[in-house]
Amino acid sequence: MDNKLKVYRAIHNLTQQDLADKVGVTRQTVNAIEANKYLPSLGLALKISRHFKVNVEDIFLYKENNDS
Amino acid sequence: MELKKLKQLRIVITIFVSLIISLAINSHSYLLTLAAVLTGMIFMALFRHKAKIKVDERDLTIQEKAAKLTYAIFAPTIGIASVLLLIPTHSGLAVFSKADFTYLEALGMIFAYLTLFMISIFAISYHFLNKKFGGGRG
Repeated sequence: MDNKLKVYRAIHNLTQQDLADKVGVTRQTVNAIEANKYLPSLGLALKISRHFKVNVEDIFLYKENNDS
Repeated sequence: MELKKLKQLRIVITIFVSLIISLAINSHSYLLTLAAVLTGMIFMALFRHKAKIKVDERDLTIQEKAAKLTYAIFAPTIGIASVLLLIPTHSGLAVFSKADFTYLEALGMIFAYLTLFMISIFAISYHFLNKKFGGGRG
């Protein structure tokens, strides 16, 4: 799984803490998602995509053989 | 309340409670010890609630994995330890029939029951959680 969270965050001029506060998680979680160390739950992925007003697939990209 | 302030408060409460506990133990007042521990726990819970510490899904995932790992290590360890403690006393060897070794059997029994208790808790919680999250037949 890959993601463009950092890109979307930069476009919207948000810090990790800002985004974390808006979607109700810790800054560490946002950082872990961006670094591909943590795969968010479906609920959180939807929350993030809804916040940026895009589809989930626009931010989170599924890659074969790399689902960690 | 900020996390830093909470940590400072936690240290103060811990020092205060440990001071009372040491005084209570010195004066053999076990009721005071219990009261001090309970008061400390209540204060900690109150401050924690006030600080609104954010526990998100990543924390929960970490807790789940840590709990799983703890169970995977602890259950076999005490299981094997109980067997190792019970074997000598049931081996029939004269050396282990002495009174000095009776505590080994008692400890082995405690470990064995603890292992069974842990496995039972795991099985029961697994059953209920499985039901809660839509598992099972049908």
